[in-house]
Amino acid sequence: MAGRAFVTFALVLLGVSAHAQWLGYPDKNVRRNADGTPNLTAPAPRTADGKIDLSGVWEAANGEDAAGGVENSGAPRYLLNVMRDFKGGPPFQPWAAEMFKQRQANKLRDNPRIRCLPTGVPGLVAYTHPYKIVQTPNLVVMLYESQTLFRQIFLDGRAHPADPEPTWLGYSVGKWEGDTLVVETIGFNDKTWLDGFGHPHSDAMKVTERYRRRDAGHMDIEVVIDDPKAYTQQIRYVQPQALLPDGDLIEYICNENAKPVGQ
Amino acid sequence: MRACHVALLVVLSAAAADAHHNFRAEFDINAPFTVTGTVTKVEWTNPHTWFYLDVKDEKGAVVNWAMEMGSPNALMRSGWKRTSLNAGDAVSVDGYQSWDRKNTGNARTVVLTKTGQRLFAASSAGK
Repeated sequence: MAGRAFVTFALVLLGVSAHAQWLGYPDKNVRRNADGTPNLTAPAPRTADGKIDLSGVWEAANGEDAAGGVENSGAPRYLLNVMRDFKGGPPFQPWAAEMFKQRQANKLRDNPRIRCLPTGVPGLVAYTHPYKIVQTPNLVVMLYESQTLFRQIFLDGRAHPADPEPTWLGYSVGKWEGDTLVVETIGFNDKTWLDGFGHPHSDAMKVTERYRRRDAGHMDIEVVIDDPKAYTQQIRYVQPQALLPDGDLIEYICNENAKPVGQ
Repeated sequence: MRACHVALLVVLSAAAADAHHNFRAEFDINAPFTVTGTVTKVEWTNPHTWFYLDVKDEKGAVVNWAMEMGSPNALMRSGWKRTSLNAGDAVSVDGYQSWDRKNTGNARTVVLTKTGQRLFAASSAGK
């Protein structure tokens, strides 16, 4: 089956995302073991006002499935297929099912990523590029290495705009619920794919992300997609994240030398 | 086995962690290849690093191959530098051919035919 072949191929090429700590500049905010290595299981740090501090360089964690034919092995669990937990298949509206079928038939050549267009929300939650969170009391900034993108999460109490201009990454407001940062985003265009397989979404999509930093080195992001124009049910999944201690972002200008092959 | 043949083994699976491209649309997993030749050019660029090498075919004619690798960002995190591979280097490459079979490949492994450090060792030992 073509889908299976694609998964196998993707696995081979994704390989093990064993990112070295390439810069190695010691982050003063990282707790150390006696030998100087980062203590990734220390308690999650907190800011002066007592909130969990999400700041740091992160990346979607590799999947834990065993190698050998299991989908997404070695890659973030939801990189390729955010619908993998739906036993009866994705809860498509008819047009979304048809669009998904067309993208598969076209061998996923329409993936915006190939033309250096952004991976969107929630795709960035399970993507294979690092991102940096910079947290302040009223604003959380997310800097994504992929396409050198940014998101602003407003925590100053504002509501979503009544009629936001549609954008690739939407308009995000956030609030703290205990130690969890809850981010609600609307105002999307409909140009991004939810995942590598090409599950579509509409411009009416609302994405709720819940950021829970479990300890110094580990964070979970729960994603809830409400998009009744495209799906008859809510879509929910949790994508673990791993801290890249002493790491940093590198400029990424995709249009520098993009060369689609054989097209 | 001559030492120079195993001097430098670079496994690119980690470097290819960049999921920029749709590999299924571009490369054929059922068309593996191994070629040996001399690097003619390196493009240390996003979204993918490319290098080109002159390869002699069975008739002795020289054919220039194009090889895609991961992004420089991913390669740097795997221990590469922009100076790790240079024009003039003799290399052996294996990977997957493009669907159009136009001497284009997605490189999985690059063996530099000269003595030198094992570039990937630091990364694979890092976790």
